Amino acid sequence: MEGLVTGNLQGYLAVGFLLFVVGLCTVLVRRTLLMQFMGIELMLNAANIVLLAFARARGNDVQGTIFYLFIIGVAACEAAVGLALVIAFHRHRQTTDADRADLLKQ
Amino acid sequence: MFILFALITLLGAGAMILQKNVITAGLCMVLTFFGVAGLFLMLSNPVAAALQLIVYSGAIMVLVLFVIMLLNSHEEEPAKSARPIQRWGGLALCLVLGFGALRLALKSPAAAALGAQATQARAMTLEQVGQELFSSHLLAFEVVGLLLLATMVAAVALTKKEL
Repeated sequence: MEGLVTGNLQGYLAVGFLLFVVGLCTVLVRRTLLMQFMGIELMLNAANIVLLAFARARGNDVQGTIFYLFIIGVAACEAAVGLALVIAFHRHRQTTDADRADLLKQ
Repeated sequence: MFILFALITLLGAGAMILQKNVITAGLCMVLTFFGVAGLFLMLSNPVAAALQLIVYSGAIMVLVLFVIMLLNSHEEEPAKSARPIQRWGGLALCLVLGFGALRLALKSPAAAALGAQATQARAMTLEQVGQELFSSHLLAFEVVGLLLLATMVAAVALTKKEL
């Protein structure tokens, strides 16, 4: 248990998992599209923490950092397109509430 | 030090989900990203910490805050229908998942063994990353550049009123 204070591999895994769960909770519980978007970013960050913790446990493997570089490249693309979609949605429906995106249900 | 950054990360995330105001939630998110950058420093990976600060806190969150202010959606709108089953069900699912994942991480003998055999590794340097990136991953690097270009075109096309 003292690894949780000093930070061994299991401590990082625990932080990554908890961050992922908070992000998932944000996506499931909050209705604003921008909040859900931030929840997705949190989940991406949780995955990055776990990735780099495992890379560190393998003797600070450089491949982990390379992979992280590509992940944040794709995350930046995802952020740009996701926010453009939110703006397009707001233009059509004058709202950013995900529950009001129900045209297919009516 | 680890526990400090871990607490900054988790408390920032917890404050974000509880926040009513979307702009304040975005600022809590910036705090979380700073905590994650600190965790990367504790993993002796200053390259990743710098990238985290530049890309996430610097670029992505500025973009998100811009959009929040542009759309003027500071507060969550009143719900059209309460949907209690979905909301409480999602919350319960998250709690079960979090408890299970935490138990798995702390009780796993494989993770304990892997963590115990971790030696004192050297800190990651930008030189190492650059040499590996431009020798073995050159094609993927170019593809990411192409992807960023395509994203730029797509974002402009999506937000433009009439193309």
